Amino acid sequence: MFELKRGALIKGSVRGMAFALMCSLAAVAMAPASARAEVNWKQAEGATLNLLLISHPFVDALKPMLAEFTAKTGIKVTFEELAEQPGFEKLLADLSSKTGAYDVFMTSPLNNWQYASAGWLEPLDDYIANDKLTDAAEYDVKDFIPGILASGRWTLEPMKGLGEGKLWALPINAESYQIAYRPSLMKKLGLEVPKTYADLLALAPKLKTEGPDGPIHGLITRFDKYWDLPYLTFGTMLQSYGVEMVDASGKLQICSDASVKATEDFVKLIRTASPEGAGAFTWDQAMQGFASGQYVMSLNEANLFASVYEDPKQSKIADDVGYALTPLGPNGKRAAAAWVWSMSLNSASKQKDAAWLFLEWVTSKDVMVKMHLAGNMNPVRHSAWANQELAAKVETWGEVPGQYRKVTEEESEVAAVRFPPHPELTRMLDRWAEAVQQSYFDNGNVKENLCAAQEAVQQMLDE
Amino acid sequence: MASAASGKGALAGGRAIYIAMLAPALCLLFLTIVPFLDGVYTSLTNEKLYAGVTRFVGFANYLKLAQNPTFWIALGNTLLYAGLATLIQIPLGLAVALLLDVPSKVQWFFRSTIALPLLIPPVVAGLMWKTMMQPQSGVLNWLLAQVGLPPFAWLSDPSTALVSIVLIDTWLFMPLAAIILLAGLQSISGEVLEAARIDGANAWQTIRHIKLQALKPYIVLVAMFRIPDALKSLEIIYATTRGGPLNATRTLHVMAYEEAYRWSSLGRAMAIVFILWVLSYIFSTILLSLWRKEEMRFHGR
Repeated sequence: MFELKRGALIKGSVRGMAFALMCSLAAVAMAPASARAEVNWKQAEGATLNLLLISHPFVDALKPMLAEFTAKTGIKVTFEELAEQPGFEKLLADLSSKTGAYDVFMTSPLNNWQYASAGWLEPLDDYIANDKLTDAAEYDVKDFIPGILASGRWTLEPMKGLGEGKLWALPINAESYQIAYRPSLMKKLGLEVPKTYADLLALAPKLKTEGPDGPIHGLITRFDKYWDLPYLTFGTMLQSYGVEMVDASGKLQICSDASVKATEDFVKLIRTASPEGAGAFTWDQAMQGFASGQYVMSLNEANLFASVYEDPKQSKIADDVGYALTPLGPNGKRAAAAWVWSMSLNSASKQKDAAWLFLEWVTSKDVMVKMHLAGNMNPVRHSAWANQELAAKVETWGEVPGQYRKVTEEESEVAAVRFPPHPELTRMLDRWAEAVQQSYFDNGNVKENLCAAQEAVQQMLDE
Repeated sequence: MASAASGKGALAGGRAIYIAMLAPALCLLFLTIVPFLDGVYTSLTNEKLYAGVTRFVGFANYLKLAQNPTFWIALGNTLLYAGLATLIQIPLGLAVALLLDVPSKVQWFFRSTIALPLLIPPVVAGLMWKTMMQPQSGVLNWLLAQVGLPPFAWLSDPSTALVSIVLIDTWLFMPLAAIILLAGLQSISGEVLEAARIDGANAWQTIRHIKLQALKPYIVLVAMFRIPDALKSLEIIYATTRGGPLNATRTLHVMAYEEAYRWSSLGRAMAIVFILWVLSYIFSTILLSLWRKEEMRFHGR
């Protein structure tokens, strides 16, 4: 288990940068300038890479820039872009047959725990360290937000070793979770944005009003029987209640008292403030539902949905949306989940150097900023967050200037992947989500449901 | 008959035929039976794509399924889905076919538009209907509200989700039933209908005593197409509910798909697929013999 405490790590990396600077000054003083290795970007000229891309704003931002990569390196790039489900199907088929049809592909830590176990991923540390392939100063691997980069590291040991061992992926964007609300409606209802889950529960019955097109419901959040419920959105609430899937000693916490309390509160919230049908919302419905103006509040949904909310072409609320930190748990704790899209290199690729050059280019500082400006949110490098143009782009997002950025940055301080790595973690999380849904639909005993899920998950682990 | 006259020629010809038949037989063997047996064998192993070692585990996967309550729910859902789909689509298809059989000047228009849903990929249809069935913003509940009816939960409640998906399935595949049954209606000779008319049979009597009798083999044919297909339905379910809410729309195929593609567990996936195959095989065999009987009865062969 690793925990990303961004604040601490940033401080660490600032010290690291100062040290690196001293070292490089020393190196400059001691060695002739010519000793510094130059990366020859044309070294794989003539190669053709094939990528597997999963539909995402990142891909829309990448496509127009591929010509730039070809001009710089002489490497041609072809790609297949697919939706998530068929995309990961094809990827699994290719990786498991070891044909190397895709040299580089989009993936995530959850997927990589399977792929890395199987040996389908090329570890990236040697490529970063190779000065013929990577200009360390220019690439500046320490510029990545440390916890986000660390989510791509794993020792391959089930249930532990995340953030340690080899690096299997480089991050391309990250999301965390937040409250989005309608300032005009909150004002009309005379309500303050809740600071704690207790506040939220107290105001839940009042969260409804009439709009021009009919009733406006209280809150919306995804609630399907799928791993993303305990891992991401409700996961953010669980973690603020102090619940992690396993505790420090490796014991499952799915039916701990805190978990039961969080689940009871969540079910109560949905029952009180969400309309019928709330027990089946998928992420896209949660996003479109809030963008359609039918809800006062969106609870703990992905912060990068803001790019949809703020776009008048896709949203009815572009001029009436605010953002707030996720509520504090009963002990005043705030912790948030994190989702990281990343790219990995196929260990069966027949042109790994060319593939690395692509990976290096696509995650380099300049290219990253350009892609963030074209809609690939949120940044995974400090330098991107520091970019003024990018700051200006999101400046208007929110009730007051700079609100989105402030909330996103502050939430990312407490965002982390707090789950034990395992190739079949989603099987366990699906079972957990089932227990939460049972508590909603069957009016059943929350503790019984969660303990049954914990028992089932323990069996999966024992197999 | 010429070769029968000379024994030697017959033998050579016979051998040539056997040799000629060998090639397709081998193709069949390698393209169908070998993969099938390989699948059955896989179901007896613990094969996981991401794990290096595969072991023979006997019937462990099947035993584990029998102990898994979700499997029994999924089995029930699978049978219910196929049963509901067939029971709704055959009478509805029959009604549509009877309407399309009525001579009229605008018939060509209806006959060509009825088949349109068949051209839409099930995944696309699923996504389309998911939007329309959305409880708050979907057009279906809006329509219900227009006629003063309360909103319906559609896909979002465990008690209504499976039926809602069967409705989508019906929208997609009822035209297939209608087209097959229409072909059956049109194969009834005009003389028989004419004779019935002269004998004073009214429309209902004609339908009941002549058309339905003649359609029996076609109805069995529709069931032969639809039941195994509905048992294996996956795309609509995955595009709408992914097996939820709770396990309300989890079918055997959804379970097998998730084992294979989400958790790389080929052994377990193949065990579920094999059970699904047995179900399809049983239904197909029963329907096939029923169809032969009907054909024989009707055509007197």
